[in-house]
Amino acid sequence: MPREVILVDSQLGNLDSVEHALIQVGASVIVSSDPDRVATARMVVFPGQGSFGPTTRALVDGAMGAALRMVIERGDPFLGICLGMQLLFEQSDEGGGFDGLKVLPGRVRRFPADMRAGDEPDAARLKIPHMGWSDVQPTGEHFYFAHSYYVETTDPSLVMWWCRYGSVEFPATISRGNVFGCQFHPEKSQWSGLRFLRSFILGGRA
Amino acid sequence: MLKRRVIPCLDIKNGRVVKGVHFANLRDTGDPVEAARAYDTQGADELCLLDITATTEGRDTFVDVVRRVAGQIFTPLTVGGGVRREADVRRLLGAGADKVAVNSAAVANPLLIRQLADRYGSQCIVVAVDVRQLKPLPGETDPLYEVVIHGGTRSTGLDAVSWCEQAASLGAGEILLTSMDKDGTRDGYDLAITREVSRRVPIPVIASGGVGSLEHLRQGLDPKEGAADAALAASIFHFGLYTIAQAKHYLADHGIPVRPHEAPRGVLITG
Repeated sequence: MPREVILVDSQLGNLDSVEHALIQVGASVIVSSDPDRVATARMVVFPGQGSFGPTTRALVDGAMGAALRMVIERGDPFLGICLGMQLLFEQSDEGGGFDGLKVLPGRVRRFPADMRAGDEPDAARLKIPHMGWSDVQPTGEHFYFAHSYYVETTDPSLVMWWCRYGSVEFPATISRGNVFGCQFHPEKSQWSGLRFLRSFILGGRA
Repeated sequence: MLKRRVIPCLDIKNGRVVKGVHFANLRDTGDPVEAARAYDTQGADELCLLDITATTEGRDTFVDVVRRVAGQIFTPLTVGGGVRREADVRRLLGAGADKVAVNSAAVANPLLIRQLADRYGSQCIVVAVDVRQLKPLPGETDPLYEVVIHGGTRSTGLDAVSWCEQAASLGAGEILLTSMDKDGTRDGYDLAITREVSRRVPIPVIASGGVGSLEHLRQGLDPKEGAADAALAASIFHFGLYTIAQAKHYLADHGIPVRPHEAPRGVLITG
């Protein structure tokens, strides 16, 4: 039997690529925007693109937020992707401050605008968003990132893999028990990304 | 560390790749899906599809191409060409594109950029800017560049660097900068304008137009030459002159940080 995954549709971007990648690694995918359906899931993938704002506020305060917390508290495997990972944390600086699901300790911050590519005075300014392929440590694998905000956690034991952009070292993946998150887009990270998704699907781990 | 990207681009007309695609070890094909798969397997960092069809039926065909390509690759997909209004962006994102490039429509209505960025996120919105060098007037030392639209057929009078800065401030996530002077020449990118835009805007810049060799890719990405974040090319890959993997090796050997080419391993359970 293929592993059944509920792919949460919460109006935070296109789900097709994630669905397609999950199917490729052997999952049986059910896309749902129904909090009741999500609440009964045995395995959840929660993707998101873009930023904290009115849409995430409605989600966090609403029935879907409650359903996601229920899955996590019950101990069923949960994977947040990009904004979906950031939403696991307490709060974002975006747009004057929006709350997350507060499952994990930490804040979501914007990359500083004045980071430089080197120490020389004429070194180029680093671009924001952090967009493209970066390696993660300690594995050295490359994944595709597209984000202007990153997680700053007060608990480094949450972090499985780190990524560095300019002067900022931030979590590329996090895990705590049944809860996993990745800042990169595994569905856009070719073989590395598919391997990451397959580990989650097969083992409920990443 | 963030790597520089190599992006093959396919021009699509009426559902087919224009000029055809000739890969080593692959039969000649004008099928965009087959070409996209080949690039994905070769390790392209991203793929770009540009619709150069002028008709409404062609547009529908293009959305179908985007859908079929998106269903076959696991790398980011940027699409553009003829994007006029928000509904076009929605349709293309809905078909599986990760980023949509707007060009002439953004020049006509710059606030479209903000509207799109607010709705879909900056990371989805690429502003494509076609530029042309102006003949210097007596006394001018630095070359000036203007923005042109409708495939380079129409002047706008907009200064290229100022327009790119404005697009970034309105929420564009990336600039796709094409030199109309260089496009199709195989002489290499226009490094002067690429470097100037890349240094002035706070968002990533994709260099485009003119690549005829691997050295041209290196020049575009070298911080002291084009200083671009990504290098887009079409014909050198289409005609089988070089594979993406060869491009990656060349760049790595010459000090440009790139994602190493990784041969596919048995990860696919289905399909």
